[in-house]
Amino acid sequence: MDDHRSGDEVRLHWKSPEDLRNGSNRGVEPAFNDGDWLGGSTRRDFLTLAGFSLTAALAACRAPIEKAIPLLVGSDDITPGVASWYATTCGACPAGCGLLVKTRDGRPIKIEGNSSSALSGGGTCATGQAAVLSLYDDARLRSPMVHGKASSWSKADAVISNTLRGAFASRQNVVLLSRNIGSPSTNAVIEEWSQLNPHFRHVIYEPVSLSALREAQSECFGRAAVPHYRFDKARVIVSIDADFLGTWLSPVEFTRQYVRGRAAETRRSQHVQYESRFSVTGSNADLRVPIPPSSHGAVALGLLRRVAKAQGLDGCPEAPEPASALATLDAVAGLLLKHHGQSLIVSGSQDVAVQTVVATLNQFLGNIGTTVDLAQPSLQRRENDSAMAALLDDLDRGEIDVLLLHGVNPAYDHPDARRFLAGLKKVRFSVSTSDRMDETSRFADAVCPDHHFLESWGDAEPVQSSFSLAQPAIAPLFNTRSAVESLLSWSGRPLDHYAYLRDYWRRALFPLQKETADFDAFWDNTLREGVFVVSPTSDPVPIAFRGDWKRAAEAVAGLARASVASPHGNTYEVDLYESVALRDGRHANNPWLQELPDPISKMTWGNVAAVSPATAAALALADGDIVVLRSGGTATELPVLVQPGQDAQTISVAVGYGRIAAGKAGNDVGVNVFPLATMNNGSHRLWMPNVSIERTGRRAELATTQRHFSMEGRDIVQELSVADLSRSEPAPLAEHHLPSLWEPRPEGDHSWGMVIDLDSCTGCSACVIACQSENNVPVVGKQEVQRTREMHWIRIDRYYSGAPENPESVHQPMMCQHCGNAPCETVCPVLATTHSSDGLNQQIYNRCVGTRYCANNCPYKVRRFNWFQYAQNPSFDFHMDSALGRMVLNPDVTVRSRGVMEKCSLCVQRIQAGKVQALQEKRVVADGDIKTACQQACPAEAIVFGDLKDPHSRVSELRRDHRYYNVLDELGTRPNVGYLKKIRNRIETQELK
Amino acid sequence: MTLDSETIPPPGEIAIPLVPRPRWVEGDLPSFAQITADVARPLDVWPQKGWWVCTAIALAALAAGAGMVVYLFAHGIGVWGLNNEVGWAFDITNFVFWIGIGHAGTLISAILLLFRQRWRTSINRSAEAMTIFAVLCASLFPLIHMGRPWVFFFIMPYPNQRGPLWVNFRSPLVWDVVAINTYLTISLVFWYLGMIPDLATLRDRARVRWRRTLFALLSLGWNGSQRTWRRYEKVSTILAGLAAPLVISVHTIVSMDFATSLLPGWHATIFPPYFVAGAIYSGFGMVLTLLILTRKTMGLDRYITGAHLDAMAKVILLTGSIIGYAYLTEFFSAWYKGDLFERFTMISRATGPYAWCFWIMVLCNVVTPQLLWQKRVRTSVKALFIVSILVNIGMWFERFVIIVTSLHRTFLPSAWGMFTPTIVDIGILIGSFGLFFTCFLVFIRILPMVAIWEVKELVGEQTPRTFGFAGAAGDLENEMEGAHA
Amino acid sequence: MRVRTALLAAGTLIPALASGIMLRNLSRIGIHQGYAPEQPIAFSHRVHAGTNQIACLYCHSAARKSRHAGIPSASVCMNCHSLLEKQTVEIEKLKEAVQQKRPIVWIKIHNLPEFVYFNHSQHVLSGVACRKCHGAVETMDRVEQVSPLTMGWCLDCHRTHAGVPTSGFARAALNLRGQSRPVPGLDCGKCHY
Repeated sequence: MDDHRSGDEVRLHWKSPEDLRNGSNRGVEPAFNDGDWLGGSTRRDFLTLAGFSLTAALAACRAPIEKAIPLLVGSDDITPGVASWYATTCGACPAGCGLLVKTRDGRPIKIEGNSSSALSGGGTCATGQAAVLSLYDDARLRSPMVHGKASSWSKADAVISNTLRGAFASRQNVVLLSRNIGSPSTNAVIEEWSQLNPHFRHVIYEPVSLSALREAQSECFGRAAVPHYRFDKARVIVSIDADFLGTWLSPVEFTRQYVRGRAAETRRSQHVQYESRFSVTGSNADLRVPIPPSSHGAVALGLLRRVAKAQGLDGCPEAPEPASALATLDAVAGLLLKHHGQSLIVSGSQDVAVQTVVATLNQFLGNIGTTVDLAQPSLQRRENDSAMAALLDDLDRGEIDVLLLHGVNPAYDHPDARRFLAGLKKVRFSVSTSDRMDETSRFADAVCPDHHFLESWGDAEPVQSSFSLAQPAIAPLFNTRSAVESLLSWSGRPLDHYAYLRDYWRRALFPLQKETADFDAFWDNTLREGVFVVSPTSDPVPIAFRGDWKRAAEAVAGLARASVASPHGNTYEVDLYESVALRDGRHANNPWLQELPDPISKMTWGNVAAVSPATAAALALADGDIVVLRSGGTATELPVLVQPGQDAQTISVAVGYGRIAAGKAGNDVGVNVFPLATMNNGSHRLWMPNVSIERTGRRAELATTQRHFSMEGRDIVQELSVADLSRSEPAPLAEHHLPSLWEPRPEGDHSWGMVIDLDSCTGCSACVIACQSENNVPVVGKQEVQRTREMHWIRIDRYYSGAPENPESVHQPMMCQHCGNAPCETVCPVLATTHSSDGLNQQIYNRCVGTRYCANNCPYKVRRFNWFQYAQNPSFDFHMDSALGRMVLNPDVTVRSRGVMEKCSLCVQRIQAGKVQALQEKRVVADGDIKTACQQACPAEAIVFGDLKDPHSRVSELRRDHRYYNVLDELGTRPNVGYLKKIRNRIETQELK
Repeated sequence: MTLDSETIPPPGEIAIPLVPRPRWVEGDLPSFAQITADVARPLDVWPQKGWWVCTAIALAALAAGAGMVVYLFAHGIGVWGLNNEVGWAFDITNFVFWIGIGHAGTLISAILLLFRQRWRTSINRSAEAMTIFAVLCASLFPLIHMGRPWVFFFIMPYPNQRGPLWVNFRSPLVWDVVAINTYLTISLVFWYLGMIPDLATLRDRARVRWRRTLFALLSLGWNGSQRTWRRYEKVSTILAGLAAPLVISVHTIVSMDFATSLLPGWHATIFPPYFVAGAIYSGFGMVLTLLILTRKTMGLDRYITGAHLDAMAKVILLTGSIIGYAYLTEFFSAWYKGDLFERFTMISRATGPYAWCFWIMVLCNVVTPQLLWQKRVRTSVKALFIVSILVNIGMWFERFVIIVTSLHRTFLPSAWGMFTPTIVDIGILIGSFGLFFTCFLVFIRILPMVAIWEVKELVGEQTPRTFGFAGAAGDLENEMEGAHA
Repeated sequence: MRVRTALLAAGTLIPALASGIMLRNLSRIGIHQGYAPEQPIAFSHRVHAGTNQIACLYCHSAARKSRHAGIPSASVCMNCHSLLEKQTVEIEKLKEAVQQKRPIVWIKIHNLPEFVYFNHSQHVLSGVACRKCHGAVETMDRVEQVSPLTMGWCLDCHRTHAGVPTSGFARAALNLRGQSRPVPGLDCGKCHY
């Protein structure tokens, strides 16, 4: 595989999935061929066409000569046209979920969750799903760079090793500034460095930091580690601005836990969310209270005071509580006390004192050891803001001689980026392992591009003693090198990453298990499974609470009083958050994520200043009005989005936008608001008070995919209250409600259908990206989205109900419903959309002439038209216009061309594959054999696909559930896709008082 | 129609009117030579400045439209303002609009012929021409709106290597293709057949050689003998019989594009009659516009008289009232049916973002025709011209309202959107007018825009001289030509 | 008079003939039946599959498990040819390629449009003989495309297989009598997605 090292060669490998049908050639010659127009076939066709004059016009009918290039040396694991799967670990965010990577003809084309992972299960998030596209990012560096010029590894190594050797010899300060490194083996390397060189220091930095949470734990429990939360064990969940279903800490794992906790219909967990913006998590809460960021502490304190009082502990200071929360605090405290040891309080606050109060709450409520696991804590986040602050000071003073940057981009995402850059210039020699020339690495003396995680070996320990391995799914596309190899070689131990990793596991992890004595067997097994969990040998020692909670409470109370004292007047608080798609902005150049609608605001391609309807009314603001946010020195211009449920005192803005050196898709999209963030006694604070807002009078058109948020009293998303749940009888099957003029359609052996549980769906949008990546759904760009021409086959409709100040909301995944009596089928003049014998509504692209009649007649409006040529068209240069970007395309799905209608096919290619596999294994298709992309991706397991003809299949059972219904049933379309009603479990605050 | 209350005299009899027959030709009755000369004049003389200006404008519009179409074919339907929610807008609006315009012709030539409406004689030729040009414009849009005209043949049922794979005979679009082609063919044949005697006349009076040969070919060796005339009469009556149902069927089928769908605002049983009425309404609107313009400029105002305009105004009044009634019915049935979605659609039609289109439509199609109750309006050419223009505008907006307002807010509020036309949308609309008027302007220059022989026939009836009903006109014509020579 | 009739006859016959030819040729566009290009190495299926009785699936093993029958890698050829003494120019080419690590660029004969997803394994495993589509390859020195590979041709087989009449009229009759039943093999989405 080493002959892959040169980027150009490899880029030549695959031009388009179709060309790959002939099999991939590892190495030398392009496997594809544009076709030789002067070959024998032209003569043949000329004779065919001879005799009439249209030859010229019909030149297009000449078939180019197709070449077929077999492997030179056959290989067992590559059969052209057969996918192989590799277990690995996700590197898209610190959560480190287990993944399975689907490779076809040597290219990773799809990422799926690894169901054998105890933490993330089979689920993934949108960001994880999209990570495969980042592998084929044009902006990636092709080779190491020294002083801005392309170089070779040997040269780069020579320079860097010398510098380092010199630095260490002359006792100079060497700093490794990195993001969270989940890999124990890599951390071991760094550990060695610091042991060998007293002047070496490792600083972990995250732009959106959980540093305060860690510190609070160390204060309270003497261990600086983020606890491992268990939402599934909690019956009462109180979250103070922690978006744990969207972006906070480990969303996939938490979603899975959360949904399981609610699935138990009898002992359903209840969820209270205090938050400033309308987050995905808030949209699922049973009680949601909008509060300004400044009162996070006050709320935590309010709860603590009530709990302490109830437990006879006094001395908890009083503090003014936000009016909005006041009404609820008694009720919530009551609930918490009722479920002693079965509750969980989490907070996204970046204030150590607040986090201490929260930790204290968990302690008082007996959650430590049940829902808050400190014995086996999470190792996902270990950033340290104060260390970063110290580093900045050192940089200022020019005391850092060598700076190694790994996976960080402070020049973009540090609140004080200018200061950092100034400091960086004072550094004698700086090295970055960034995979592109980003805002920071542009100024580094040397850039040693790291592999994409799909090209690289590695391991992870997201939660203590549950390990997972990462293995390359493809040989490196470019002349890059794993950062670990770089570190090793610079410390004078040039060693292959694989060899090192294997050796580390033999030394460190192999002894931890008893199952097998043969390391190779252990290794192979772990590699296949992807994960390896060490069962705790002894019972966890009880962890003593030693926090000085009163001091913390005092501090919080002080802040609360201060914030009340300071006159708000006409200023607001701005709260910065990570968007579900882009997170902290490191994925900004991923067009799939840029075009992923925000689960709540449905915004794509840019960020907005979300203001509450009240504020909008007060300032006469409408969607798209551009405003200036002034805070201290900074002034930021943003378009406004009127967001129901937004706290009236708060303006929320997503970080991660406004990159200037991310790549063609990510540059200059939205506005970078990191500069608004502040440092607050040693920790990053992503909100700031006293921000004034004024309108500029200019307007910008927002690229939103949903513009109307009320259900208009239509029965589209149906709900049940917990009370109804016990009452209601099984509803008759939808099929038998309504008479129909059509004679019943004769059916074949199968009838594929799907049921979506609206109660489980959190709106996380992983399915949208999964579908996009499975079905080659094109990216259309901001302008086309503004014209509502997005191409997503599955969209998540989000409706509000109730008062706009704090509405309830529902998420409804909507895709082709595969109607039994499909309105689209009757109107197509050319039979381009027909009904299959197994209940699918099939769209035949090569027959479609593009009258769009079907889309007009579709009551669900799920059909998508190719308004332009989106593939291989320079005006849509996202990923389908570059040979590299097209490598992500799924060769089993046609790339649609211009003027063609398309829509959800229920992953017909997967159904086909499932059937063939059954045939190969000489059996019938079993329930669960076939999973659609959206179903597979869903961390909430809300989507179930199967055969309706099989009465015992899971989907048939759910169809008999009394919560089952069809959308727009009254139209008699008789869909094969149905929904389970959402369950409302409101927390009646008054009654509990 | 109260016009023609008395019985038609059998052929060969002297027709002595009991009540004064309405004068379909003004002034004292012209000699047949006079008629020929009057009608054929534009064909002989070099066109004046006015004609060149009009033609230049029309051609410019046509060129602009053609350019836009090429641009669209090169880039895709995306250059229009359409989107996921609104899949049809200007394209199908224009299509239905032009088909509608194309309705007056056949109505006049076929149905009025069967009803022996004398007044049709001097307007039917131009009306039929207009029909053909309108249907040509209309039939372009199905091609354009697919964005890839080269796959249009998929819609045609033809034996093929695919299994074979036929078309979906359930789809109204297939019915459309059939209906429109039939209609175009019949109209063409009818038009051409109606012209044959006149072509013969032109042949006989042609001075230039190539003209003579051309018209000789076109007139299929017509000799105005009794036998020819009798057969001619038969054929035209039979064809009229064939064509009459088309007037109803074509727009009925077009209306089914909407009526057979399940979209609130489209899915309505009233559509066929309502569309047919609308079509005739708009058709006569256009005829009125054109004739008012041409009768003066071509100096034919003595053949196309106020009485003609008045008669057409009455047809507009009738059909206009039918449309008004249809609008009411739509709202009533939406309310009476109690269907949430349909009610909503109707209300948002009148109050939603496209309300202004709706009210323009109401103003032009419901209010305006009611003015025609007054003789004053019906007899004032200026007023009639304004009315006819309003009729055209109103009917275009009617189709726009039906298509766009029904599409932009359908069942799922999450999929509600808006349509805003782009320059290409508008350009192609203008282009279609360009095409239409170019054709018409050329037509009035190279072919007699009034049926000479029919006028003569009419005059024959009105002169107190004895003539055979049908044949005579022909014989006499030859006799006069002889005199000329 | 006679001249006139002659002219008339000619005037009608010639266009009719011309359009007939044209239509026929139009309907043959894209059908490459009989396509037998020259290959970089004159590999003879007659010798291997015919004379030496090597089973198709020995070389085209992927046909059993993949969409593509696949073309054997040079290493497969060498399985035998490294042992066999027999030397010819063509075998030299093969060995040369292997020594120079240069893959052999064969010319693909059976080409389906890119929107057609034909699956070899599915057909092989359901017992469709290779020769049913590829003809008597064991008799060909240079392989040629025997079947038209049109959609109609596929469907005919799928129909006969499912006991559906291949004649359109018979099928129409079944439809009218409401006796037509769904045949998975005839779904559009079976091959087009």
